[in-house]
Amino acid sequence: MTPDIMDTLKIYAALAMASLKARMQYKASFFVLIFAVTLFYLAQLGSLLVVIARFKEINDWTIGDMAFLFGLLTFSQGFTTLFFNGLQNFDTMLINGEFDRTLVRPLSPLAQVVLSKFEASTVAHSLIGAVALYYGAKMSGIVWTTEKMVSLPLVVFGGVLIQGGIRMFVNAVAFWTLRNAALVHTVVFSGREFVVYPITIYNYGIRFFLTFIFPLAFVNFYPAQYFLDKTGETLFHPALRTLTPVVGIILFSLSMVAWKKGIDHYQSSGS
Amino acid sequence: MSPALFFKFVGVSFRKETAYRFDYLVMILNGFLYVFIFTSLWKTVFAASGGGFGGFTTAGIISYTVVAMVIRISFSMDDTIIPGRVRDGSVAVDLIRPVSFQMMNLAQCVGYSAFHLTARGLPILLVSALMFDLHAPLRSLPASAVSLVLSYLLLFMLNFTVSLLSFWFVEVFPFILLKYALINLLAGGLVPMDFFPDFIRPVMALLPFQHIFYSPAIIITGRVAPEQAVGIIAVQALWVAGFVVLSAVMWRAASNKLVIQGG
Repeated sequence: MTPDIMDTLKIYAALAMASLKARMQYKASFFVLIFAVTLFYLAQLGSLLVVIARFKEINDWTIGDMAFLFGLLTFSQGFTTLFFNGLQNFDTMLINGEFDRTLVRPLSPLAQVVLSKFEASTVAHSLIGAVALYYGAKMSGIVWTTEKMVSLPLVVFGGVLIQGGIRMFVNAVAFWTLRNAALVHTVVFSGREFVVYPITIYNYGIRFFLTFIFPLAFVNFYPAQYFLDKTGETLFHPALRTLTPVVGIILFSLSMVAWKKGIDHYQSSGS
Repeated sequence: MSPALFFKFVGVSFRKETAYRFDYLVMILNGFLYVFIFTSLWKTVFAASGGGFGGFTTAGIISYTVVAMVIRISFSMDDTIIPGRVRDGSVAVDLIRPVSFQMMNLAQCVGYSAFHLTARGLPILLVSALMFDLHAPLRSLPASAVSLVLSYLLLFMLNFTVSLLSFWFVEVFPFILLKYALINLLAGGLVPMDFFPDFIRPVMALLPFQHIFYSPAIIITGRVAPEQAVGIIAVQALWVAGFVVLSAVMWRAASNKLVIQGG
């Protein structure tokens, strides 16, 4: 990253505005798209609602608990997409040589890629997440102590770093394999489905995987245990409930290292 | 279109798909992921409710999950072809070809799906068969085969009809997204219709979606007896016929409209 973060942020804001203006050129299709995206997410939520409405609770997680779990995931995912959407189709950038341009400009290549595409439809995601969080917390009767109120933004921050770090990792793979769209799709869009449900439903192997290898459980499951005061169940160690920001910072730093290694390894496709 | 030509299109489309090997390995993983999630989920909630629910036993719901997932994966279709060709104008070439546009698209679609069946569907089915105790009564086989063919045609016709909207709208992505939203929720690929709230089920019975994955899956896994399957198959056939008529009308209007645009 460049030393001057303010400059980078200014550039991001400018690019975001430009992208939004470009999208708003076709106002009708822009709003139809937001509408369709929202419906798409609601349908996704629909499957979950059907299951909860029918079975009332999943391993002692009530409807409110499940909504909170879902809200935490979706809310932070919305922010992740807002900041890291430029990584979408990164393999295409490598294949057609577009990435080479970023190497000769006086701004970090990573910043240029990440900031290249502002995705406005992500608003739908955050909105659904916020509503789920609100009602989940209400239905489960969360008592908002000062500690919990301070923790919430930290958990979202950590969740964004975890998901952003994961996206950086899988995209860095493209420096070696070039085409990796399916991998990105699986990890980014399907991987999240694991943690829509409390991970206690899975066998030991998958719980371990989601905690220590692909730590998505820190985005929502462990912090939700903390917010909901779930004292009855402990996976691995009770301290995991409060480690989300730490895991986020570690994972994101590691992903930066992977990205740096990728760029060092990178040779242009020549096209 | 002659069968030989039909299968030529099928073959070309199949071979085109084999180009992305790394991608399809990952996509197998993607299918397993959903099998893992939902088998774990059903085991948990079924254990809590005493081992049976909505007409399913635990073994029954696991079989349903695997079968529905394998159907869903094997019925992969590329629904961006027609909108893409309308957008860049190459659909004009399709129109002057001496073959039926619908049949050519069906042939390409079959080739695409055949690849996903062999490369992804069957491996997932084989591994799942080793991991789980899958139920598929042999006497349901004839009904299952008919139902599968009809559900494939239904999904194809639905995709085809939505694709034709690209003749009228510049941007069809929202429609495609909407279609996916409805299929994901109402086709029974993940959650069977039996678990939906009772007040919604009559509404869903009036829609075509549950005949895409749910109907063949309950017939294959023996959730309904072959004798009862006949009624379901008849409704599937009606829906296919309905979409054939609808898309024919749309196609006629669309090709007239394209001629008016000139070039």
